[in-house]
Amino acid sequence: MISLTNIEKVYRTDTIETLALNSISLDIAKGEFLSIMGPSGCGKSTLLNIMGLLDTPTRGQVQIADQPTQHLNDKQLAHFRNKKIGFIFQSYHLINDLKVLDNVELPLLYRHSAAKERRLLATAALEKVGLSNRIRHFPTQLSGGQKQRVAIARAIVGQPEIILADEPTGNLDSAMGHEIMDILLTLNKTEGTTIIMVTHDEIMARKTHRLVRLFDGTQVQ
Amino acid sequence: MFKHLFILIWNKKKQNFLLLTEVLISFIVLFAVFTLLVFYYRNYKTPRGFDYQQVWVATYTNNFNIHDSDSLHQFYESLRNAIQAMPQVVSVAFVSSNTPYSNNMQMNGLQYQKRQLRSVNSYIVENSYLPTLQLQLLEGQWFSPADAAARKTPLVIDQTLREELFGNGPAIGQLVGDDNQQQIIGVVQDPKFNNDYSLTGKAMFSAPDTGSIRSLSRALVRVAPGADAALEGRLYKLMANTMKNANIQIEHLDEKRNSANNFALLPMIILAVVCGFLIINVALGLFGVLWYNINKRRGEIGLRRAVGATGSSIAWQLVAESLLLATLALLVGVFFAIQFPLLHVFDLAATTYLWGLLFAIVFIYVLVLVCSLYPGKQAAAIYPAVALHED
Ligand SMILES: Nc1ncnc2c1ncn2[C@@H]1O[C@H](COP(=O)(O)OP(=O)(O)OP(=O)(O)O)[C@@H](O)[C@H]1O
Ligand SMILES: [Mg+2]
Repeated sequence: MISLTNIEKVYRTDTIETLALNSISLDIAKGEFLSIMGPSGCGKSTLLNIMGLLDTPTRGQVQIADQPTQHLNDKQLAHFRNKKIGFIFQSYHLINDLKVLDNVELPLLYRHSAAKERRLLATAALEKVGLSNRIRHFPTQLSGGQKQRVAIARAIVGQPEIILADEPTGNLDSAMGHEIMDILLTLNKTEGTTIIMVTHDEIMARKTHRLVRLFDGTQVQ
Repeated sequence: MFKHLFILIWNKKKQNFLLLTEVLISFIVLFAVFTLLVFYYRNYKTPRGFDYQQVWVATYTNNFNIHDSDSLHQFYESLRNAIQAMPQVVSVAFVSSNTPYSNNMQMNGLQYQKRQLRSVNSYIVENSYLPTLQLQLLEGQWFSPADAAARKTPLVIDQTLREELFGNGPAIGQLVGDDNQQQIIGVVQDPKFNNDYSLTGKAMFSAPDTGSIRSLSRALVRVAPGADAALEGRLYKLMANTMKNANIQIEHLDEKRNSANNFALLPMIILAVVCGFLIINVALGLFGVLWYNINKRRGEIGLRRAVGATGSSIAWQLVAESLLLATLALLVGVFFAIQFPLLHVFDLAATTYLWGLLFAIVFIYVLVLVCSLYPGKQAAAIYPAVALHED
């Protein structure tokens, strides 16, 4: 599903040059649930952003669904992200001025789906994460776990083949964290969605198919 | 997408309130200024109705010791003939003090059938007034010596008064005034006597009679091109000799017109300067608020990029949001503005208001567009990976 070859990422500022990723090669199969672990600052988010086409590697190739991505323009990249990838973040990134339902509809808006269809799909996605009774709430009226479930609903509403989750349970207590983890596991099992998850939690990581460890931008396991 | 933006703006109505008020107030001010400018411009474009060039106005104090009006008539007749006989004088007319660009006004009422019209400019003029100022006769005729035999007092009116009195009906021959003592004999084009930017309005002209001959206090003198200070000196001497103790002052209408125009333009210039500062202020405010909003919304922008927005669609969204906000403010503003023509608050044509409205709307949209283009462009350049990383 995702194939990274010799990925290198260098951040340059005026004074320093950071080698955030150092020749990472990784093949992730369709339907795989992969977790990435490593100490803070080792390049996990950077790697995820590159897989999600939010960032470009300094060197190396990214193939997603057998398609090389380095020649895609801004519009094609946006379209690609919209169709193929769902994102989940540690800090949820919900738009506080939009109700839950409108937040979940967001990816469909950029797909120019009809209003009726958007409503239908968003409601179904919220049902899957067990939040059908909160669709008219604003994000500020929800708990952390509920917010993350809204974020998951938003990630799955467009039925992407890949979900990229950057510490999805990082801000949650362990009960909430397991709840979120169960939703992701179910999603992986029933829909066959490929999931790549960054986590600091060994217990969560052990529930996934495969674990990749990074250290200082290099893959160590 | 439109509905989405509307929901977004609606849910943020508290934060947007200030911006809305700012746009609303600037719209109202712009509406007033543009309406005024359109009003001035339309007046400026209206034909002047007379010719001010090569006309001098001699002002004199008319407290001479001639008591019966027949002698006064003779006095004026001989003085007129003497001035007329001077080389380079084309024509001369004695008139009441409300000469062009003089700031003097004489308003009278005028009765027509059961109606009493107020504020009609009333000019006492000799027959030679028409050729001297070259007023444009539209209907009927001007005063002539034959009027002396007329049973009713002849009256010439301007186009505005004509329309007010008779609409599209016939004007010539109509009887007006108390006991129908006056008869309309002619209609002239509206003269713009105050300045080039305002209209004089209703006006009527009558020849001096035994009473009104005493209100003559100016001589309008049309001179040939090339008339110079020497002529002015001789004219002064002639009048001073004839009028004995009178104070005499000779001015040129073209100079008086210039100062009248400048005086009329002054408030407009002040208004434009004040308005200019206001607009700069509003523009900076708008720009600042939009800029601030974009920095506050970096997370949202990053997320939108992640779920499928292109850089340009982010820019488009922010510009569209501003324009939508402006539209909301304009809806309220137009509601207030439209009351002016509906309620006839001022005596302006409805189309003048509508042009003012149109200009103000276009100006607001352009202002908002210009102020949101750059912040929008900056938003489009936000790097999603970085923006999503921040909080
Ligand atoms: N935009 C950037 N500019 C410069 N350096 C950056 C940028 N983003 C990340 N880095 C650097 O790259 C390295 C990897 O960062 P990254 O965010 O991928 O770490 P991480 O593994 O996700 O850490 P954490 O567990 O704390 O989230 C860090 O040293 C970081 O300082
Ligand atoms: Mg990270």
